[in-house]
Amino acid sequence: MSKQAKTTALPGQLTPGKIVIYILLILVSAFTLIPFVWMISASLKLDREVFTFPMKWIPETFHWENYSLIWTKVPMLTYFKNTAIIALSVTFIQTLTSSFAAYAFAKMNFKGRNVLFLCYIGTIAVPWQAYMLPQFILMRSMGLYDKLQAIMVLQAFSAFGVFLMRQFYQNVPSDLCEAARIDGLSEYGIWARIMLPLSTAAIATLVIFTFVGTWNDYMGPMIYLTREENKTIQVGLRRFIQENSSDYYLIMAASVVSLVPVTIVFLFLQRYFIEGIATSGLKG
Amino acid sequence: MSGSAEPRKKRKMSRLERKNTLIAYSFLAPNFLGFAIFTLIPVVLSVVMSFTEWKGGSLTTMKWVGLNNYATIFNSAKVGKQMAENGFLSGIGYFFSKVDLGIALKNTVFFTVVTVPLSLICAILLALVLNRAVKGAVVFRAILFFPYVASMVAICVCWNFMLMKNGPVNQFMMFFGSTFNKSWTADSTMAMWAIVLVSVWRNMGYYMVIYLAALQGVPRELYEAATVDGANKMQQFFNVTLPQLRPTTFFASIMLIIGCFKIYDTVAIMTNGGPGRATKMLVLYIYNEAFTNFNYGVASAISMILLLIVLLGTILQFSRENRYSNT
Amino acid sequence: MKKAIAMLLAAVMLLALASFASADENKVLTIVAWDANTTGYLTAQKEAYEASHPGVTIEYIDVSSQDYDTKVAAMLAGGDTSDIYMVKDIPALLNWYEAGYTTNMNDFIANSNYDLSGFVGMEVNYAMNGEQIALPFRSDFEILFYNKDLFDAAGVEYPNNNMTWEEYKEKALAVTDTTKDIYGTHYHTWLSTAVNYTVADGVNTLVDGEYSDLAYFYQLIQDLEDAGACMPYTEISAAGLHYSGAFGNGNIAMMPMGYWYVATLITNIQNGTYNVKNWGLASMPTKEDVKAGSTFGNLTGAMINKASGNQELAWDYISWLCGEEGSKVTAGTGNRPAWVSEGVADVMSSVDGFPADEGSKAALLPTYVAIEIPGTEFSSQISSILGEEHSAIMTREITIEEGIENMNERVQELLGK
Repeated sequence: MSKQAKTTALPGQLTPGKIVIYILLILVSAFTLIPFVWMISASLKLDREVFTFPMKWIPETFHWENYSLIWTKVPMLTYFKNTAIIALSVTFIQTLTSSFAAYAFAKMNFKGRNVLFLCYIGTIAVPWQAYMLPQFILMRSMGLYDKLQAIMVLQAFSAFGVFLMRQFYQNVPSDLCEAARIDGLSEYGIWARIMLPLSTAAIATLVIFTFVGTWNDYMGPMIYLTREENKTIQVGLRRFIQENSSDYYLIMAASVVSLVPVTIVFLFLQRYFIEGIATSGLKG
Repeated sequence: MSGSAEPRKKRKMSRLERKNTLIAYSFLAPNFLGFAIFTLIPVVLSVVMSFTEWKGGSLTTMKWVGLNNYATIFNSAKVGKQMAENGFLSGIGYFFSKVDLGIALKNTVFFTVVTVPLSLICAILLALVLNRAVKGAVVFRAILFFPYVASMVAICVCWNFMLMKNGPVNQFMMFFGSTFNKSWTADSTMAMWAIVLVSVWRNMGYYMVIYLAALQGVPRELYEAATVDGANKMQQFFNVTLPQLRPTTFFASIMLIIGCFKIYDTVAIMTNGGPGRATKMLVLYIYNEAFTNFNYGVASAISMILLLIVLLGTILQFSRENRYSNT
Repeated sequence: MKKAIAMLLAAVMLLALASFASADENKVLTIVAWDANTTGYLTAQKEAYEASHPGVTIEYIDVSSQDYDTKVAAMLAGGDTSDIYMVKDIPALLNWYEAGYTTNMNDFIANSNYDLSGFVGMEVNYAMNGEQIALPFRSDFEILFYNKDLFDAAGVEYPNNNMTWEEYKEKALAVTDTTKDIYGTHYHTWLSTAVNYTVADGVNTLVDGEYSDLAYFYQLIQDLEDAGACMPYTEISAAGLHYSGAFGNGNIAMMPMGYWYVATLITNIQNGTYNVKNWGLASMPTKEDVKAGSTFGNLTGAMINKASGNQELAWDYISWLCGEEGSKVTAGTGNRPAWVSEGVADVMSSVDGFPADEGSKAALLPTYVAIEIPGTEFSSQISSILGEEHSAIMTREITIEEGIENMNERVQELLGK
């Protein structure tokens, strides 16, 4: 009690303990941000400056033109458009179907539940590289090769979304559902009227995970998308790195640009998001 | 009356059950159909593939070879000979120092054993600090979480620069009396630590947020009771906080273990398994077998070893967790 | 909020619909190639062929060079029907052959008046069990690039076409000026640029399981590194420094590199990206008992996809590409065609921006070109093993002797299976 009073009653006061904590936090944050700072600094330099040691963190002159140069070198806009289509569609399908399936796993009793759930968990443990080829052959035979839809279906039904949503739903007291059932609400009604409104945080979590995951996916689009007009931002970035492999300043400028959309999504959703992981992570 | 009501009730229940199951399946169907077609079937195919020889082409050209692929990856002939000639232990030693699979296993297990606890400890410590009334907690949270959002391609390039000879990390460490000044990724020992560093850097913010939430759920009364009992801060942490965080630690460690065993991107970009085979990990090995040497059967066999280890680890964790929650 | 979601959904659908749009043409030849957008000769070949063959359109499918093997493996396994695949290296081609993706060109060759003599025998490297499964259109060999200005400034004579490795080492040391960050020579991180010269004698190969012959070249590099005459491997690999920028920067006096770099160099000097101004070419140095002008090289070629529905057209293109006309186009971009006649050779040396001195011209004609790594069942696995040990030796995590011992042991075990 007294401890709590000490720390919260006088928020403006700086105790020595607090100063130590702030210094620690700032140090750790600096450690976290250092690569990003270097990325931005390098993106504003000229080629030769990038390699000078000891490092100059602030460029002698700021070469903002690096940022306009990258748009002329590769069709960044097309890449952005494709990635946005894929990421938005995947996020939508994933969130909807996962929350649906997770409800059954968390709140309903039915035959084969454990076996089915084990199937989901088991596939998380298998590296994608191992089943990538059979999967590719299958998708190809379904006519999905070199179509944006291939990446959509590839990402949209991942086991991860179901697992995450189930963890969250399990924390919602079962009494709530029981009460609703007695009131005559159907299972669909319970899902729509009770579970969904309660899970905004979990949905925000899944949305950002899925969006970020899809946005940053490289191997999937690399294998499945072939024509120039279908390529995504990560494939483009890798291509950019290879075509300009000596121009680190351009690579870093392109990397910074590719980070912008995920950063925006993250900043918008982070409040919900942090609550979301919080609740689903509480219980194993 | 009761005698005739009982069976009818049972029938009704089973009909209800059947209806329930159908409803449940209708909930599952949209996701499960996609999941089954695009993930489950290919995974099952890759299990089958581990017993075949296949160089690509049509699936019908797969040739059943039994356990041959497993014999190949374990190099059973050579290991067996070593065992027969110089004893069991020498065979094991040969496996872990010379055979690709043994080296990859050793590296991956080492990486996992170091990275998982380090990530968890960093995450808990950060969460403990941010759990107190700290100004700007939202900003710190966002900053610490940010690495998880960034794409690995660009980030690994940046880290390679950070860890170069005369780079900022080495200079920082030399300031504290370290004499090491070599590019981390070019040193057999430090290359592994470079990958650990980047992984912990990426994981800690994410799991910190999870712990933060869990900490907020620890009932205040427990601390008050502990204070009344005269427990100091250290004792409070070990006797109240840590046990209360157990479910979170369980969840986090399972996700981390799976993630560590499947590490690929970081290694591929930063060291490509080198120098020599110092950072060769299981998935890198799988990838090379499949797409450089076109030995898909062998690649699948390695994947099965990985799957087996991860499943075993997960089951072990689950049973430990059950033991705790039962007592 | 609901409105916003609805609008978002509508936007998604519109964008998704837009992605369905596709085009159709009359006669299209699809070619899978790497870095198609930045590789000058691919554009030139396409334009020249389309101009002389109205009604045919060539479409490149661009795959990043680093992922070429992976992506192509997936494409071919998935039954891709692109007509032509460019061949990057022989071990990969061998794998495609074994999986049944290649087309036997023997009948095409016999039934057309296609002339193989321009290859001077090189086409056998693309023949498996008597089947010609691909034809080369580019033949690169390792050659020594040098920066004339740095040699002038140091008062050292230019490299010539009859150097031994010892002479090369002396020159490298003489030009080096550590105070001005001037390096005598430069080695890229590849195994090939470091030690493949051992195969130039026509006796040693990289697939025989015996690697003691590499020690000489590793020792040479380590001596040069220790003297500060070349950038250390550890820094180049950690920074991911690309060889083109390194030489282009103007502080490197010599660099052994594949012939393809000529085209890159000319383009980048012309558009002002590089600092280097006056440069020349010399034959690779040789060991004392090896004939001057010997070097190693690699082929780049094209194969017809078995699943292609346009095999006739594909052959027509390949026979053009790997014949007199196509070779002239390839040569015109500063690249070295595999099929060479007198007419083609004239085009090669008259490329704008090519050094005008006699030595550089003479260096274009090596006396012997060994194939870098021949196609055998184990080629790709051997490459991986050598690559792993190479990185351990070059980072000095193990000694040269240990590295070579490991190479011998591991490759012999592989071959002995």
